[in-house]
Amino acid sequence: MKIKQLLFVVSLLLCAQQVYAQDIAVTGQVTDSETGETLFGVSILVEGTTRGGVTDMDGNYEITVREEDEALIFSYVGYRTLRVPIDDRTTINVSLEPEIGLLDDVIVTAFGIERERRALGYSLQDVDGQEIVASGANSLLNALQGQVSGVQINRGGGGAGQGSQIFIRGFTSLDPNADNQPLFVVDGVPISNETIESTGRPRGMSNRAMDIDPQDIASVSVLRSAPATALYGVRAANGAVIITTKSGRPGEVRVNFSHSVSREDVINRPDYQDVYGPGFGFNFDPNGFWPSWGGKFEDNPTYTMTIDGQEQEFPMQYYNNWKNSMQAGYGVDNSVNVSGGTQNATFYTSVSDSRNRGVIPNNTWNRTSIRVNGNARTGALRVGASLNYINSGGNRVPFVAFMERLSYWNTSADVTDWRFDDGRHKGNDILGTGSGRNPVFDANTNTYEDDVNRLIGNINTSLDLTDWLALEYRIGIDTYSDQRTEIEPGPLGLENEFVWSDGFIEENRINSRDLTSNISLRFHRNITEDIGFEGRFGNDIFDRELQTVRARGNIFEIPRFAHFSNSQDILIGQGLTERRLIGVFADVNIDWRNTIYLNLTGRNDWTSTLDEDNRSFFYPSVSLSVVYSDLIDMPDWFTYGKIRLSYAEVGKDARPYMLSQVFFSPTEFPLNGQRGFSRGGRLAPLDLNPERTLSNEIGFDFRFFENRLSLDMSLYKSNSEDMIIDVPVSNATGFTVLSANAGEIENRGIELTVRGTPVQTRDLRWDITSNFTRNRNEVISITDAVDAVVLGDMAAYINRPRMQLVPGQSYGAIWGTSFARYYPEGEEPSDPDVLEHDRPLLIGENGFPVVDNEYKVVGDALPDWTLNIGNTVNYRNWDFSANFDFVMGVDKYNKLDQWDAAFGHTEKTLDREDFKVFEGFLADGTPNTQEVWLGQGVGPDGRDYGAGYHRTYYRVAIENSTEDASYIKLRSIGAGYTLTQSVMSGLPVQSIRAGVTANNLMLWTPWSQYDPEAFVSAGSNLIGLVDLAYPGTRSFVFSLNISL
Amino acid sequence: MKFTMKYSLVLVMMSFVVFSCDDYLDINENPNFPTDAPIEGLMTRTTLESARNTSRTAGTVSYFTQHFASPNEATSTDTHQPVSYGGTWASLYSVLSDLAEMDLKADDLDAPYYGGVAKILTAYNLGLLTSMFGDAPYSEALFAQTLNPPYDSSEDIYEVMLDMLDMGIQDLEQPSSAVVPAADDYIFNGDRASWIRTAYALKARYLNHYSKLGSYDPDAVLDAVDDAFENSNQDFQMNFFEGEGTGAENPWYRLAVNNAGLLLGGWLSEQFVDHLNGNIYGIVDPRIEFITEPVSIEADPRFGEYVGTPNGAGRGADPEQDVRAVLAVGSWYANEPTDPLQMATYAEMKFIEAEAALAAGQPGRAETAYEDGIRAHMEKLGVDPADIDDYWANPDVSTNIDLDKIMKEKYVAMFLIPEAWNDARRYDYAYEEFTIPANHNPDLGGQHIRLVRYPDSERQRNAAQIPDRGASDQLLGRIFWDAP
Repeated sequence: MKIKQLLFVVSLLLCAQQVYAQDIAVTGQVTDSETGETLFGVSILVEGTTRGGVTDMDGNYEITVREEDEALIFSYVGYRTLRVPIDDRTTINVSLEPEIGLLDDVIVTAFGIERERRALGYSLQDVDGQEIVASGANSLLNALQGQVSGVQINRGGGGAGQGSQIFIRGFTSLDPNADNQPLFVVDGVPISNETIESTGRPRGMSNRAMDIDPQDIASVSVLRSAPATALYGVRAANGAVIITTKSGRPGEVRVNFSHSVSREDVINRPDYQDVYGPGFGFNFDPNGFWPSWGGKFEDNPTYTMTIDGQEQEFPMQYYNNWKNSMQAGYGVDNSVNVSGGTQNATFYTSVSDSRNRGVIPNNTWNRTSIRVNGNARTGALRVGASLNYINSGGNRVPFVAFMERLSYWNTSADVTDWRFDDGRHKGNDILGTGSGRNPVFDANTNTYEDDVNRLIGNINTSLDLTDWLALEYRIGIDTYSDQRTEIEPGPLGLENEFVWSDGFIEENRINSRDLTSNISLRFHRNITEDIGFEGRFGNDIFDRELQTVRARGNIFEIPRFAHFSNSQDILIGQGLTERRLIGVFADVNIDWRNTIYLNLTGRNDWTSTLDEDNRSFFYPSVSLSVVYSDLIDMPDWFTYGKIRLSYAEVGKDARPYMLSQVFFSPTEFPLNGQRGFSRGGRLAPLDLNPERTLSNEIGFDFRFFENRLSLDMSLYKSNSEDMIIDVPVSNATGFTVLSANAGEIENRGIELTVRGTPVQTRDLRWDITSNFTRNRNEVISITDAVDAVVLGDMAAYINRPRMQLVPGQSYGAIWGTSFARYYPEGEEPSDPDVLEHDRPLLIGENGFPVVDNEYKVVGDALPDWTLNIGNTVNYRNWDFSANFDFVMGVDKYNKLDQWDAAFGHTEKTLDREDFKVFEGFLADGTPNTQEVWLGQGVGPDGRDYGAGYHRTYYRVAIENSTEDASYIKLRSIGAGYTLTQSVMSGLPVQSIRAGVTANNLMLWTPWSQYDPEAFVSAGSNLIGLVDLAYPGTRSFVFSLNISL
Repeated sequence: MKFTMKYSLVLVMMSFVVFSCDDYLDINENPNFPTDAPIEGLMTRTTLESARNTSRTAGTVSYFTQHFASPNEATSTDTHQPVSYGGTWASLYSVLSDLAEMDLKADDLDAPYYGGVAKILTAYNLGLLTSMFGDAPYSEALFAQTLNPPYDSSEDIYEVMLDMLDMGIQDLEQPSSAVVPAADDYIFNGDRASWIRTAYALKARYLNHYSKLGSYDPDAVLDAVDDAFENSNQDFQMNFFEGEGTGAENPWYRLAVNNAGLLLGGWLSEQFVDHLNGNIYGIVDPRIEFITEPVSIEADPRFGEYVGTPNGAGRGADPEQDVRAVLAVGSWYANEPTDPLQMATYAEMKFIEAEAALAAGQPGRAETAYEDGIRAHMEKLGVDPADIDDYWANPDVSTNIDLDKIMKEKYVAMFLIPEAWNDARRYDYAYEEFTIPANHNPDLGGQHIRLVRYPDSERQRNAAQIPDRGASDQLLGRIFWDAP
């Protein structure tokens, strides 16, 4: 209620400012000298006085002058300040010239507010639409990779349509299921960036921001600090990605056509060994379970089998199934946009189409997007609307299962020979009728198609109430249906057929609807000549509904007829989630001589996800920016200097339904006409409050040599407190999870952006942009009730690496078993929870390392630092770019490495006939000298080594497969040539650009297999545990852009 | 101008006032689930889950008793590795929680017949829990009294189990109940007499577990046996349902079907097969053909023989099908999806009686019970009466009845009943030719596993309470009655 009163009082103060009417009235309009667009908010001062005014939404102003006044001063962000003599005129129309090189000093912040960069007391970084298109990526997140400091973007792998994930300034939530990813806002309206993973086997579903066509994007601002996000409320607690789409400009109709084709190939495929064939313990067996622990191929050129009493001989050879089973991916993108308009109305329309094929067979993803944006103004009213229809989807392959089945697949069998002529499955034994699901058969026959139809639209209006006050209203909708169909065709019903499923069809219907309403009162007024005052008050409502219905029909009566009517057993499930938020906010900016800026914001939210007593929460922010280079005389080379300081709080509510304690009916019911119920695992919390994040930030902007070199640095520290955690509890409590406010997590870091133009001549220009990020994350405390909050773990055959939050450790800590270390008497680990990697190994009496089954921190999945260096060179009509990505000091658990140790596929296991003395100490402190054999079975020394070193020791210690996933990537390198109109005289073409880009052309990494960036599900917080991921790719893109 | 100003302020406030109606935000009741459940629904769930818990535990401990063996070499359960059986642990506690809810609800509704079943099934699931894991939380468990429930000793848990059985019998003997179980009781369809007999059967089973202790009271065991099942038709078992692949069907049937579909599992140990096929005792047990199938590949020199798989060794060069003995589709234990799953049987009672009578110095009673046990199990499986008589006619079977003979015969009758592991431990794995699996976990120093370790979930969430059971990663720790 206090907020309402405050709003009212402040408004009254504004009203009290009476217009001082006297003498002569001067009116006029201010426009842009280049485009002719009218300019809103231009400040007009009567020279030598404190009197003045600002232009309204249509660029009109009215001002009173006295006879003795001589001139008016027009000043506007990004434009040259203009002095115009009055000369007794009563109408003075002015056009302002854009200040080249400073125009980029306007930046879009919350609610599409354009603000001067210099006025910001917090850090914010933007990316131009051209840079997004130039990346050659057809997904927004992939295009943003490396372009913004403080932001970590990971690609899931090379799958067509596979989701990516984005984290800003680290992880702020202790809840394993919390979304740590930022809010996405398109043209002022939040949109969904959810990743809804497939039911059953993981398939790398798209993150929904992938629906946005990068070609439509004019600019992206990344709000990474709390004050910037305070205006969006709880949903932007992890930051916000503000996307502004292209709009038409007054003038001739412009047409742009762009086309690109790309090819993708797997990167960093490990070296597979072709020495040992299938079998176990050096026994060659092409019909058994073990794919490559058998005898040598060279010793087994043939294999003899008795079939129907007849001895038959089969030739044996090695197949590199990992290579052969995958193909080249490709992409074809086409888009056309048409834009234009008059002074009072502009439009932009676009149609685009993207078709993609992944490197795993039968993986496709396509997107078609149609967009219409329009703006019109008449008198005091401005109305804009935009509508974006998207259809996207494809066939998703179960890549984890694909990679897993490849691990099981005999190296003596050709996996690409996946079926018999009659369509039956072909297994990995000699006759092909045995077990062992063929991954290529699986990928080709088990289909999972998603079909997303999405509409994102908004209407925004603004009405000038006075020349300094406007009312704005914006309503937006983001609604989509995601229709997914999985078909496992089941057996053909033929003899000698390997059957793993009797067939099923599953239909998933996901309907999501987000509504946003935002009303605000915006003002812009100079209090005195020196003191500017602007801001807004508003109300914001968010309403979301997500409905899912899932039906599954099991067991086909008629083989291969996938239909519910043909299923023996039908299961149906449904879910509904609703969430509502109401917010009121105030945003006030005061500046002194455009040099010192003070920004205050306050917001109160009411959420539906907490109890009535706890649902309301207020959070403020204050930030200060001082452009000290305008206050103090600086040497010539020092162009600009600014310091900024901010403090902010952000609140965050719970997920829906965390307060309910329920019963549920498990899926097998009804049975025999009875429906069973069981108590749900969630224990209702007694008192759940909103979370709170407190952030402090200090930043410096420097520009030297007329902007040839600039440096933007932020230092921040944020503490998230009263975190809402789903605490897993002992099953013995009768429950499995309890939500509680507990714990604190801290992120602190440095972000540095350096821009430079080392060379600038008439023909040649070289720009470098470099983004450096270093974030340190520490879990300060968790609830007393548990020792650790388990984010999750991953079943990896014999072991189970885990991510869990423990005070004093990083969010990214990977916990697991290890080889025990040797400590001389009197010494002990400084932190018993952390493995000291550089300590010598403890060797057992048997000569092998001792496995320590106590879980310890064996790695950290949050990078020590990241750096991106982007270069662009323009030489006459040529443009070149090269972008390097450095991600350093990051560890991840590599399940594929462990799998290889289990199955002996890679050259790492070629030491299987070697003797070795493990370096380390016995428990009594003597150095180990015992020689042991690494193979399986009885070794040359007569000792029985059982399943051998790799299976018995190496893979059991999670430490061994926790690898350094640091990398340096040549993220992209490209060249283009632009033909301009002068060359093509007579043609109705303004320009043509042809370009070639290569992505991931080079990769340096200690990571042993495929892409160190890869993960399985974009929606997951388990960033340190890499399941058998979709292999990453390098791509070559050719693109063509034609402007008419 | 001022007027417009005011007007717009009113607008802003109105939108706030309109939408801040509490109703608008009161949508946090989870629409997907009920907040309470009918007592019948709890009965349905707990009877079904008790049967499933039986197969969950048996699916693990049958490797320790060497009824089962892994088709693959050196797999973890088969070689007594410290595996985390977190799923079984969670399932046991889930059904214990539902039973506790049902018991409370029965009190509220004045429905002692539900309360009685709840108590008997609580005793049964606690028995499965403690015999597999040893000490476990109970006295401060199931209702979130604390988030770190302390562990009760297995001895104390046995006290609870025996109390529960007595109280369950009392409840079921009440003259009336406001609500009466019927079709919602998947096990006995609401038949109280069956439940009471089951309570006595479980009591006999649990009291007999004290056999290695000084406190063993064979007379008390015999008393309980007297009130337990009178024939195999009264067995504590549950019929499953149609619905392939949904979890509704008999889990052993599903295991056999999966194995036939080459998702390998349910392979019989060489120990068990040799126990039956005459390799160990020189007598072919007629039950073998009701349990498994012989080698069916004619070209194989072992054609027609029953060939088991040695524990820990895997199937060697043999194919996945048609050679090694497996739990076969169509065998007595995996015939139909709707087959019953046995939890406690009349045959078991007879062997318990034989053992207790022997201890109580009543060899005559022991002998009769021993014969009844063999015959009851064979008849249940459908063995031809002539074959039963032939088997009994063999003096190696029917004379000199001692504990070894009783345990030898009980070993067959307890196939797929997790109680078999309790027998094996009480008997110290002293079956003929019973050996340590190949590739055995070296940490056990050649000793058989005595308990499984506490699951990872418990290590993560309740670490401080977990009892210390020594260097073998808990596997050599013992339940209280398993005296060395």
